[in-house]
Amino acid sequence: MYGWIWRHLPGNTWVRALVSLVLSLAIVFVLFQYVFPWAEPLLPFGDVTVDNGGGSR
Amino acid sequence: MAATTEQQKQAGHPGEPRPGRPRRRGRIATAAGVVGELLITAGVVLALFVAYSLWWTNVLADREAGRRGAEVRDRWAGGPGPLDTGKGIGFLHVPAMEESEILVTKGTSAKALNAGVAGYYTDPVKAAMPWKEKGNFSLAAHRDGHGAKFHNIHKVRNGDPVVFETRDTWYVYKVFASLPETSKYNVEVLADVPKGSGKKEPGRYLTLTTCTPIFTSDYRYIVWAELERTEKVDAERTPPAELR
Repeated sequence: MYGWIWRHLPGNTWVRALVSLVLSLAIVFVLFQYVFPWAEPLLPFGDVTVDNGGGSR
Repeated sequence: MAATTEQQKQAGHPGEPRPGRPRRRGRIATAAGVVGELLITAGVVLALFVAYSLWWTNVLADREAGRRGAEVRDRWAGGPGPLDTGKGIGFLHVPAMEESEILVTKGTSAKALNAGVAGYYTDPVKAAMPWKEKGNFSLAAHRDGHGAKFHNIHKVRNGDPVVFETRDTWYVYKVFASLPETSKYNVEVLADVPKGSGKKEPGRYLTLTTCTPIFTSDYRYIVWAELERTEKVDAERTPPAELR
């Protein structure tokens, strides 16, 4: 997979390395900015309040 | 192995050494390689998520809380305008938690608490403000991530001071009970006379709630304190003896 991407990047080794770095950073940015904030409330790690569970009490 | 050898014999290309096998093996190797790379990618993404949860959300929340706290202090310093509970009603100081001042704002929704603040309850039990004659001033904040303001709640012992600072008053509370583990549905801990704290008479109480164990939300950790005295804020905002 990564080999395939590497072979399809343009330029010599240095250009490819640079493009790879930029691509990785872009992916990390998308994860931190959009994907993780979306996923976090779906995971049970950050609930700190006591409540009556949506009125079941 | 045996089948392959037979196929080679049947194919009968003596010039090409083993034509079938390398290609088939190559396909399997490629597939295994892709699966392996996907697994490595998944591992890296999960590691990034941990970094996001435990580090990056703290960076964002502390920045936001610092900005809002400065706004509140600015307004106290002479800025006019009514009390905006959304922006903050005061600061909580808990020396035992080794955390600097914690801004207190209205509400305990995820959105409110993610700003790196402690929120006072509006639901399911409405918190009584500290300046009220009787009642329970109940607060919630994150244990991990998003500022992690109550991270060290387990270091709070009975007798430790908890100080709430408003524009003109220091409210000095003393911790008298805690509940290291309770159900997340136990809303009685927020009652005016909190159930489980050992108190029977109405008084001026303060309740801190957060999640436990650390890094999860299976249970809730509760700390109760009772108002000991109040002090007027002087011109220099000299903190009460407990914070010095």
